[in-house]
Amino acid sequence: MGTDRYAYQSRLRHMDPVAKLVLTFATVTVCLFCGGITTGIVTLLVMGALTILWGGVRPRAFLKFLRIPMTFLLIGCLTIIVEGHPAETPVLFGVPVGHSIWGITPDSLYRGVCIMAKSMGVIASVYFLTLNTPMTDLTLAMRRLHVPQLMIELMDLIYRFIFVLSDTANQIRTAQDSRLGYQGFRRSINSMGTLASMVFLRAWHKGDKIFSSLESRGYTGMLLTVSDTYENGTGCYIWAAAVAMIQLSCYLAEVQFM
Amino acid sequence: MTNYAIETRDLVYTYEDGTRALDGINFGAQTGKITGILGANGAGKSTLFLNLNGVHTPKSGQVFIQGQPVQFNRKGIQTLRKDVGIVFQDPDNQLFSADVYRDISFGAVNLGLEDAEVHRRVKWAMEKTGITDLKDKPTHALSFGQKKRVAIAGVLVMEPKIMILDEPTAGLDPQGVSDIMHLLTDIRQQLGMTIIIATHDMDIVPLYCDYTYLLSDGKMKASGTIEQMFSNPELLRDNHLRLPRIAHLMEILRKEDGLQIEKLVSTIGGARHEIKRMIQENNQ
Repeated sequence: MGTDRYAYQSRLRHMDPVAKLVLTFATVTVCLFCGGITTGIVTLLVMGALTILWGGVRPRAFLKFLRIPMTFLLIGCLTIIVEGHPAETPVLFGVPVGHSIWGITPDSLYRGVCIMAKSMGVIASVYFLTLNTPMTDLTLAMRRLHVPQLMIELMDLIYRFIFVLSDTANQIRTAQDSRLGYQGFRRSINSMGTLASMVFLRAWHKGDKIFSSLESRGYTGMLLTVSDTYENGTGCYIWAAAVAMIQLSCYLAEVQFM
Repeated sequence: MTNYAIETRDLVYTYEDGTRALDGINFGAQTGKITGILGANGAGKSTLFLNLNGVHTPKSGQVFIQGQPVQFNRKGIQTLRKDVGIVFQDPDNQLFSADVYRDISFGAVNLGLEDAEVHRRVKWAMEKTGITDLKDKPTHALSFGQKKRVAIAGVLVMEPKIMILDEPTAGLDPQGVSDIMHLLTDIRQQLGMTIIIATHDMDIVPLYCDYTYLLSDGKMKASGTIEQMFSNPELLRDNHLRLPRIAHLMEILRKEDGLQIEKLVSTIGGARHEIKRMIQENNQ
């Protein structure tokens, strides 16, 4: 799975996940509530730099992940930037359609770009977390932050068995495919249906087996584990404060000059 | 008789639909030995193990741990699970966490140990099973053999008196088989742990087992040392098993070709010895 592979190779892999969570949470919050164009871009740059320089994620990988939400963002923001206005509105660029004019006003342009920048900042912050923290560390951090136990256990189990089930599904698919199960539309639909029901049955069966094996290791209703010791997360807290300061100064500067 | 780490007497287990899965099992595993339970698919090996660990409760009969009868109540089952660890056949059915370290720690945490002790045991178990360098990998990135080791570490961490392994060699390549079996003999030698393995991989039996049982249709059909077990090939064949390849070859040489093979051998080393002896006698 995409981000996970990078998280396990990250230089920050062994850092206290709570600290990384705090850094991400702080920068996301400031970016969302006090965001402007500069704040967004600066957040993107700083968090990108932290991920690449501090976490050791390759720049190309980071850019690749950044490209994924880009398409959605561009389309989304385009619909904000281009709007219908009454005929006499001063527009930067527009096409008259009937009694109104469709185009870009300075106001809508600013709003669109602002949302775009803010979103990119938030995305970069979240990527800092996901590209540097394996899922299991994240759930452990959430437990320490008193997120309900049931939810965490479900997350842990789902995460583990996504891989087991996708393996199973792939094997069944290959087995079907090798017997020409996917030739033609009708047959494909049919095989797909069988595959879905088989995966469901296997999951059911597997659940039973796992329960037995957990019981034999002393399971009494709680999936309690301990993790290897983490490195001290002071660095993250310092960065959280520093990035928040930078973000706030950008915000204030932007408010001042606009 | 008191030397048994675990023993069953007339153990009966029936499924909910009334099928008798285990029918009067009398079985014992000696302390510090490797006991093999030979049985074809569906013979009842896994069901027996789940009974020995309190996941299933026997319908009648008794289980003894070091001579003490086990009570199948909450407390008794808890002690039983502490004393008896099971390594299941498919590690994907056992490893529930994507993090190797956390998965191994599970059993130790359940014992109610202090965190420091849990960490010590996890590290110790990883060292014993040779997986310390897998610590930073997610479970789904491991090979089958590596997962198997993690599963063994996850049981070892509870420091059980008895470790049961269901088909420990199934699905492994030849190198993996010998690695895992060496690991088990090491564990037995260093820790004096009692080990029970269920298998139908007949070739490993003479190499690693000290004593064997033959399980079929939920009944113990025979028991004995390696020599005793392999001196009755017909019984094995009737129960969908066979002799180890070497023992089979020696049997053919003796029966069909009339070679003067004096004792039953089932390992390469034993066969070599026997053949050299015959050649020497011939030359004299």
